[in-house]
Amino acid sequence: MDTITQKTQGVLSKQALEQGIELYNLKDSKFKHNRISVHMVLPLDQATVTEYAILPFVMRKGYKGCEDFSKLNEMLDHLYGASLITEVGKFGANQVLIYSIQAIDERFTLDNERIIRRCTELLCDVVLNPDITDGAFPEQDVALEKQFLIDTITAEINDKRSYAINRCKLLMGEHNPAAIRKYGYVESAQKITPTSAAAAYADAIRKAHIKVLFIGSGDSSIAFEVIKERFAKLERQPVALNPIRYFAPPSTPQSFTDLMEVSQAKLVMGFRMPEASTPLELTVNKLMVVLYGGTPASKLFMNVREKLSLCYYCAARFDRLTGILLVDSGVELANIELAKEEILRQLEEIRQGIISEEELNSAKLMVKNSLRAVGDSLGSIEEWYLLQSFLGTANSPTQEFTLIDQVTAEMIAKAAQKVALDTVYLLSAKQD
Amino acid sequence: MENITSHKLGEQYYRLVHSSGLTVLLCPMPAYSTAYALFGTRYGSIDESFRTSPEEEYTTVPAGIAHFLEHKLFENEEGDAFSEYSKTGASANAYTSFDRTAYLFGCTDNFRQSLDILLHLVVNPYFTPASVEKEQGIIGQEITMYDDNPEWRVYFNLLSALYQNHPIRVDIAGTIDSISKIDADILYKCYYTFYNLRNMVLSIAGNFEIDQVLEALDQHLKPSEPVVIDRKPVDEPREVKVPRVEQNLQVAVPLFQVGFKGPAGSLQENMINQTIMEVLVEAIVGEATPLYRKLYDLGLINATFGDEVLAGDSYFTAIFAGESKDPDQLYKILLEGIEEFRQKGISEENFERAKRACYGRYIGMYGNVESVASIMMMSEFAGMGAYTILDVFLNISCQQVNALLQTHLDPKYSALSVVSAK
Repeated sequence: MDTITQKTQGVLSKQALEQGIELYNLKDSKFKHNRISVHMVLPLDQATVTEYAILPFVMRKGYKGCEDFSKLNEMLDHLYGASLITEVGKFGANQVLIYSIQAIDERFTLDNERIIRRCTELLCDVVLNPDITDGAFPEQDVALEKQFLIDTITAEINDKRSYAINRCKLLMGEHNPAAIRKYGYVESAQKITPTSAAAAYADAIRKAHIKVLFIGSGDSSIAFEVIKERFAKLERQPVALNPIRYFAPPSTPQSFTDLMEVSQAKLVMGFRMPEASTPLELTVNKLMVVLYGGTPASKLFMNVREKLSLCYYCAARFDRLTGILLVDSGVELANIELAKEEILRQLEEIRQGIISEEELNSAKLMVKNSLRAVGDSLGSIEEWYLLQSFLGTANSPTQEFTLIDQVTAEMIAKAAQKVALDTVYLLSAKQD
Repeated sequence: MENITSHKLGEQYYRLVHSSGLTVLLCPMPAYSTAYALFGTRYGSIDESFRTSPEEEYTTVPAGIAHFLEHKLFENEEGDAFSEYSKTGASANAYTSFDRTAYLFGCTDNFRQSLDILLHLVVNPYFTPASVEKEQGIIGQEITMYDDNPEWRVYFNLLSALYQNHPIRVDIAGTIDSISKIDADILYKCYYTFYNLRNMVLSIAGNFEIDQVLEALDQHLKPSEPVVIDRKPVDEPREVKVPRVEQNLQVAVPLFQVGFKGPAGSLQENMINQTIMEVLVEAIVGEATPLYRKLYDLGLINATFGDEVLAGDSYFTAIFAGESKDPDQLYKILLEGIEEFRQKGISEENFERAKRACYGRYIGMYGNVESVASIMMMSEFAGMGAYTILDVFLNISCQQVNALLQTHLDPKYSALSVVSAK
């Protein structure tokens, strides 16, 4: 490998095109696949969330020139089983419409077939050339995808653990656009028509911030040549995105309980942290959460689960885009109050600085471990750099190491002192 | 040390049998940051009745022991392996499946220390009545958690419907009742039977030094006695137990799984057939097919629709799963579609499309450290090299696919499992 290639291996490069379009490229020859993705970012808003949410699913069905869903899938089969994934995501208080294609690198194709250009063209066709005729998407596609969207929204209830987490977040953020669910609302989905969906598309493509990423071992220049040519033709007026905003907790924590037919209760405790004013403070906050409940060596795992056997799982997670720290656990019905007490007691320990050197080092090692591992998958690289782009930075995962090394137990204790309980949510069993 | 190469991928790994009797598989992948190690035993939830020569009688143990052992091995006299891993920064875990249990870690630093912990925890069992009782509590909660899980229930209900006697129909963790019968003695008995190094494999892929592995092996592993483990044959007829099962849980849209029970077969046969089945399923109901389109346009399947093959020693099932507003109607149409193919056969053209559609996925199996370590271990348990499955795939013929369609995808030996709201 020559020196120039060595230097750019695993390093992100960025180009900003006009009109709110950014191109990101990361080449890493170890990968056997390439992943090209288009992310359309729009502010979350109750009025638009659902109409935007249906777009990736309707657009996945075909485009002008290949209107048939089966034919489109056949083209993907021919590209060695390339996967075309369209989804809806969320970053803080913003909705992301995701269109991505992942295919084997050209070095594995039969007869050295060149497929990067073909994959990129297909992706551009899906995103930029939707099957809209006379201002409407095909009726059957909209009818079907509408129903599937409603099913997706209501299917949240299937997984009780994530249902409980989402309920807690919703209860914590009623006035915050970040609390709006990424797929929107059933009532709004029911009102979607082929025409309203087409209008939403015209709106989205004009207003969204667009981020295009090429990650893999292949030659991104071919892909970007196509992207630049196709996207340059758009007329665009990107709107301002919702900024990162943290909210203060209520003066008294609130409690909510839902009853369902469950054998095991789900307890979710939602806390708030103040916004970090420096990168070091942010790192301290993250490490505090890891030490509290981010690993099997954490205070929550070792005490609530291992020592006291109160739950099968008890973990803490932190969202730096909202400042919310959640502790969620699966608890036996008889142990709910005990679990609550112990979860709070462990936080109090950290506040008082009862943190051993081992606990601190362990948290640091685990975080460094997971940061280094980011570069080992296309998906985690994409997720990392998208988050960076939202934060307005372009740090590589290992750039955080110098900050991690500076964190002390005192800093962690101080950070924990600023954590305030906001909401306690319990999903418990109906008592007969 | 044996060197096993794939010319297709331009990659290789090493295989050796250590003086202790342990088979070790090593695939350095220096371009990756992570080293991923899997230490597995050919012992899973289905191994309920067994003997070792010269025993004549089979010992039958309560359900859930393999999983119980998995939990307990993390504990030792000094404390707990998670605390030790916390000093190296490795991310550790373990899993129990039907026919194997594996202990693993992934790390980007301190590889040797993490490997020391892994080897030490697996070869040094420690159970006391108090620790067994505590674990019964934790596992009891795990079982209860899964009782509420619709995906888990629709799957295990399917297996209970398909299999009449085979232990695969029993939940991997057992039941609250069966685990209450577990004690330290039974645990030791099972441990010393199945955790014989000759029944185990250590598989490592990623960023690590081979020399460090060899040193660690010599440090931690004692020679193991030759052993022949004989699992009691299961009298499992081809016929399914019941063709349909339904359970009510709170779900928005019904979940379904359709299973086609295949002939028993050895692990190696079944792993090879799994590869052929994946191409076959793609030909019948892949996303570009008319059958998929029909089901989709009727609103009977959505993006959650998928398939998997459950292939092990003496069991093989092809499963179609997802959400559906009308699972019975879906099942009917799926069976009709399959029956039509069984009458007419898969055409060469359709076969070529299906094979090409699977190609990227098969190359991708060797594209990350977890997958490489896993396929090395599973292939070894089946008596094959890790690239055999890739070679099988590349050489699949239309004839093989059509033959499997007749033998392994027979609607007569299928069942439907549904989880729906009341």
